[in-house]
Amino acid sequence: MNNPILYEIKDLKRRYGESFVLDIPYLKIEWGMSYGIVGPNGSGKSTLLRILAFIDKQDEGTVRFNKDVPSGDSTKTNYDHIKGATVTMLLQDSYLLKRSVFENIAYGLRVRGIRNNIRERVHESLRMVGLDPGTFVHRKWSELSGGEAQRIALAARLVLKPAVLILDEPTASVDRVSAQHIKETIRKVRRKYRTTLIIATHDLIWLHEVSDEIMKMHEGRLMGSAEENFITGAWSPAPDGLWSTRLSDGQCIVALRPTGEQHIALLDSTNIIITTERPDHMSAQNILSGRLMHMYTFEHSERVRLDVQVSDLSLICSITRKAAHMLDLLPGMNVWVVFKASSLRWQ
Amino acid sequence: MEYIAEGFATAIKLLVRGDPETYSAIFTTLRISSLSIMAALVIGIPLGFLLGYYQFPGKRQIHAVVDTLLALPTVVVGLFVYVLISRRGPLGSLGLLFTIPGIGIAQTILILPIVIALTATAVSNLDVRFRRTVLTLGAGKKRTAVTALYESRYGVIAAAVAAYGRAIGEVGVSMMIGGNIKWHTRTITTAIALETGKGQFAMGIALGLVLLLLAFVVNWILQIMKRKI
Repeated sequence: MNNPILYEIKDLKRRYGESFVLDIPYLKIEWGMSYGIVGPNGSGKSTLLRILAFIDKQDEGTVRFNKDVPSGDSTKTNYDHIKGATVTMLLQDSYLLKRSVFENIAYGLRVRGIRNNIRERVHESLRMVGLDPGTFVHRKWSELSGGEAQRIALAARLVLKPAVLILDEPTASVDRVSAQHIKETIRKVRRKYRTTLIIATHDLIWLHEVSDEIMKMHEGRLMGSAEENFITGAWSPAPDGLWSTRLSDGQCIVALRPTGEQHIALLDSTNIIITTERPDHMSAQNILSGRLMHMYTFEHSERVRLDVQVSDLSLICSITRKAAHMLDLLPGMNVWVVFKASSLRWQ
Repeated sequence: MEYIAEGFATAIKLLVRGDPETYSAIFTTLRISSLSIMAALVIGIPLGFLLGYYQFPGKRQIHAVVDTLLALPTVVVGLFVYVLISRRGPLGSLGLLFTIPGIGIAQTILILPIVIALTATAVSNLDVRFRRTVLTLGAGKKRTAVTALYESRYGVIAAAVAAYGRAIGEVGVSMMIGGNIKWHTRTITTAIALETGKGQFAMGIALGLVLLLLAFVVNWILQIMKRKI
């Protein structure tokens, strides 16, 4: 990945009241790439996206955009610095203006003073989101389904031929068909305009299919990748210099002693072994009983992702297709989750 | 009960035959209410927008005052304007007492709180996602404000309808400021009051029906406008 740097974030902090909702020491986003952000509700994903879209601003730190001036100490909104650059964001649960589909899509063009070829561009963006211009262009905002409204909102961003398209939970309020259309559309946009994509969603499977890199957010911080599990909890000293945390069903997870004040343990999904029989002769200290909830395969990947519920903890595990086949895994099965104490690293 | 049916019959007769006195009252009513609604919209929409859109110290208190003025009695407005424009009043030299512009000014004061309050409510009730949405599409502050007003247009139309309804139907201001002068400042409502006082119920009902018809036509036009925009 040697693309030019599009965003460079340093020491970014955003707080609501007394507590930080965002604390990012450094983040680099490259031109033309597609980034996914996952994390639980309240982890700061939307706040980060709004700052990247220049509709919100940080309390501290700098956001350099396309080698633009730092905006951290500005009294103006960040957007004032990047006027003309086409950074746009599709909000979760989109809002359409109370006007026709045509006027909704053309709004961004009119804002930019573009007067030529508006009709052609509106029709083209409608086709890109898989909607027939003849059927939709004259419809009112109130005559659309939820999925159609979300696609019209996406078309209103695509008509701008964006350099950066930021999507906040784009599939949260749409059905499976619309989610598929949105996926195909953003792939097309990326090919056509070399748009940089930044997408936050809970739908990891959907995200895997459109992202080059997936970042994970937790309590306002970027932590590891989507392939890692966070194990939080009341960690306490255990015998033999280890630390342990007890799950609600009584099972224990042990880790090596943290080196500092860290309280979140990260576990790479590829460091987990899955078995269908309890392993009696393994040296690993963590042998946990769980239930296989979901199995996923991805295009161009030899690995299978497993979601395993261990007590109140949901773990992502990644095994090879061959291993999955040999174990004859099926969702709903009871499985054993095995990993070493040293596989857990502290954050 | 016969006089009710008689009232309907008289109303039709007055309108069909083109009774000059009736038509004088209709045109006077239309002139005054058009004057006052135009003035109230020109002044009230920007003020209502400012009150609903921006955050500033004392906003809630101003909102409370405007909401209180919605219940302003017509006779109080009539009295207030009368004091101002009577010969001894500070604006007495303008000669507005017993004139159509005089009634127009008083009616404007009467309906201005309606336009301000309902416009402010419409603007402040805009969907919370509105502002973020237009920002993501590149709108600056000015554009966002203009779009916000346009997005509130149905609320503003409702404000105009309510205000026009109050202007066309009020009697206190027209009577006190206009003096109910035949062929000059007599409106439909003051004519109804006069006819009722004379015991001419049929004529009163006829004029009442004309007033309702007028209100219906105006509202119908606004409904068509609402569908078009």
